[in-house]
Amino acid sequence: MSTTDALFERFKTNLEAINGECSAASKADAGKVVADLFKAKGLKSTCVAETDFLRELGIVPALREAGVEVFTDHIRLHAETAKGGISEAQYGIADLGTIMQVGDEIDARIVATMADDYIGILKESTIVDDYDAMFDKLCSLPELPNFVGFVSGPSRTADIECVTTVGVHGPLRVNIVVIQDA
Amino acid sequence: MASLELKQEIQEALKNSTLSRTLGNFCSTYPAKREKSYVGVDFEKTRNSIKEVKSYAAEHIDEMIEEFTKNCTARGGNVFHARSTDEAMEYIRNLVKEKGVKTIVKSKSMASEEIHMNKILGADGVQVQETDLGEFIIALEGNTPVHMVMPALHLNKEQVADYFTEYTQTKNEPVIAEEVKTARRIMRDKFEHADMGVSGANVAVAETGTVFTMSNEGNGRMVGTLPKIHLYVFGIEKFVPRLTDARHIFRALPRNGTGQRITSYISMYTGASEVTVDKDTDEKRKKDFYAVIIDDPGRRAILGDPDFREMFNCIRCGACLDVCPAFALVGGHVYGSKVYTGGIGTLLTHFLVSEERAEDIQNICLQCGRCKEVCGGGLHIPEMIMKLREKSYKENPNPVYKFALDTVNDRKLFHSMLRIASVAQEPFTKGTNFIRHLPMFLSGMTEGRSLMSIAPVPFRDIFPTIQQKVENPKGKIAIFTGCLLDFAYVDIAKAVIADLNSIGYVVDMPMGQSCCGAPATYMGDRENARKAAELNIEAMHAEDYDYIVSACPTCTHQLREYKTFFEEGSDMFKRAQVLADKSFDFCKLFYDLGGLEESGDDTPITITYHDSCHLKRELGVSQEQRELLTRTNGITLVEMEDSDVCCGFGGTYSIKLPEVAAPILAKKLQHIQDTGASLVAVDCPGCLMQIRGGMDAHGIPVEVKHTAVILAEKRGLL
Repeated sequence: MSTTDALFERFKTNLEAINGECSAASKADAGKVVADLFKAKGLKSTCVAETDFLRELGIVPALREAGVEVFTDHIRLHAETAKGGISEAQYGIADLGTIMQVGDEIDARIVATMADDYIGILKESTIVDDYDAMFDKLCSLPELPNFVGFVSGPSRTADIECVTTVGVHGPLRVNIVVIQDA
Repeated sequence: MASLELKQEIQEALKNSTLSRTLGNFCSTYPAKREKSYVGVDFEKTRNSIKEVKSYAAEHIDEMIEEFTKNCTARGGNVFHARSTDEAMEYIRNLVKEKGVKTIVKSKSMASEEIHMNKILGADGVQVQETDLGEFIIALEGNTPVHMVMPALHLNKEQVADYFTEYTQTKNEPVIAEEVKTARRIMRDKFEHADMGVSGANVAVAETGTVFTMSNEGNGRMVGTLPKIHLYVFGIEKFVPRLTDARHIFRALPRNGTGQRITSYISMYTGASEVTVDKDTDEKRKKDFYAVIIDDPGRRAILGDPDFREMFNCIRCGACLDVCPAFALVGGHVYGSKVYTGGIGTLLTHFLVSEERAEDIQNICLQCGRCKEVCGGGLHIPEMIMKLREKSYKENPNPVYKFALDTVNDRKLFHSMLRIASVAQEPFTKGTNFIRHLPMFLSGMTEGRSLMSIAPVPFRDIFPTIQQKVENPKGKIAIFTGCLLDFAYVDIAKAVIADLNSIGYVVDMPMGQSCCGAPATYMGDRENARKAAELNIEAMHAEDYDYIVSACPTCTHQLREYKTFFEEGSDMFKRAQVLADKSFDFCKLFYDLGGLEESGDDTPITITYHDSCHLKRELGVSQEQRELLTRTNGITLVEMEDSDVCCGFGGTYSIKLPEVAAPILAKKLQHIQDTGASLVAVDCPGCLMQIRGGMDAHGIPVEVKHTAVILAEKRGLL
């Protein structure tokens, strides 16, 4: 097993341990993998915060081809009704199953916050070993973006009788698709 | 002295069955969950780092404020440095008015509770919505948080369903998953339409002007993503100097708070981030970002007091609540500050909310020290609470206690009273070794337990008759009996001597010794404690002995602390140091001097062990006595659940707050019975009195003995 494979396996195990889901895809079949997820979940609409990488993977065309209604602008408006949300995550932390949102673009933050089903697209090469490695990276940035977020699985609460329940204000389900980009 | 009002509130809390069930469950599963989350993480190292970065910030607080302000402003934020809570609230009121804010969504902010933000803005006609599920529920109830991390623990799902039904005007079923969905639906609409978001900070970084918010529910992210105006309110204790320092806090905070390795969300805001201002046109710009730093006289008083400054190292994880035996029973409402609860809450209440209330609630602390083991900032919470108690005693001495403590310090008077008591107790002991009921106002002392009776002949009269046959003695040890061994448990003192003789040491009893002074210390009477120190340093004359042995960890701890009563370098200080260096608790000394030899009568017996708070946490002894017991032939040691949780004795606690002490004892008795052991070993006469008294009052046929007695009996030394 290569180092990146080992990091991926740890990332997946730790994400699943906090009720997240994790899939792997090559660049070529990324669109299909995401579209299949929508089919499996029965999701008919989604917001996508586009990036160059997502365009390269052809996520939006693949979804449209699969009959999913896709919004790439007016995200703040459409996120109120669209059930899905897709954005690119900047880093992953293998040890925790955490993804990082490092950047101020509001659309990317909205889709990851308001969707019922959030799908994060993560380059395998950006998975770091652990929490400290991630903090080191943040500290070495020339300038910290206005927003940085650690996202670890779906939202959760134990506020009623200490019973842990997944999905409160944030996403009910989180699926991270790791793209083999090496 | 705990006020009548507090006692009534405690009674009410104890009657709340939901609170006792959920809080009890949570507190009993918390230690294991927490420990699991720390696998692979060095907790001591983490909290030392937290201490280091937070105390640096506290010592350089003006720089922190200045640097944060400069850096946050440079990134488009607006920072207001409020010198009082009123000033903070006035600024916020004006901001809200100026911006025409009608609706606010709030994620958890304890600082905003301190400034009564919801009430004041509400009166101005602004709708302020708490969005954290627990906070939302208690807002509907019209109550205050029962726990810092889980505010609505005192309500069950049926009650929540009723509040939701009333609020939504549609029937809500008492199903937790459904209730969570309802909350999502209600809040989503609020988030989408709010004019302003208000957040609290877990950490503020001076170097970058960044504020951090940690949450599981995702409400914090909604508040920071959707509204066009975003306001942070936090106190000056949240600062760390550099971005890299924040890592230590977020390593401990989720693990200590809820036993999670990381929460669902940690969000970092540096200045004004982007926001969509018009969803129809998709217009975007930087949001209006405000940070209000609360720098009130209360916080400055903490910083200015060397005894309390380390309170700034607190990370508000709530671990001190979760392991507190008293909190597990009564919950947070009895602390009464409406903001902060538990051990740390008592201290914060004193400085930030009400000194009067703090004076009352400091009584709830058992001084068991369990909170210190888990505190994320390494705070000495019990010691700080003791300082409050001392202050309160000094300003407002209780005449009954004062009389009692003065009497204890007059050795001859105290000892003659104990001799008289051994005769006068007769009507209450009814010929047994217990006092089962006391009349009138003393009845609380026998609530749920029987008291030991005073020995007919004190140990000091027995000692001269004891034959110590030690050939070629290896050394000479002085025994410090303390009141309980001298006047009640003479059998323990006899056993200690027999045990030490068996390994070649002769034991002497200096007759001028008296009460160690711990009762005065724990009541906050420093003057009487100092007098006791002086008397015993003189009487014990440690210079003449190889060691001083005590079979009461509280006495041992007190003997070791004597030097704190005297000026460093003074003659008494030096003598106190000699005494401290030579003083050991029985099992530690016996173990170190060669008591660990395989022997015993081979008669099978199953024993369980109860750790005394002082022996385990102050003196750091927990393995030696177990080894001594298990190496004794015939003994099988079975561990009980929570063996190191306080038995409820807590010195004078069981007399001051029997309402709390009794259920703590009941839990201990249950854990003992669950092991099936026929004998409980203890090393503290206070615990022995408490647990043996509990067994007697409940008619449970389990014996309770001091380790010294068990060893002497099993080795045939008596």
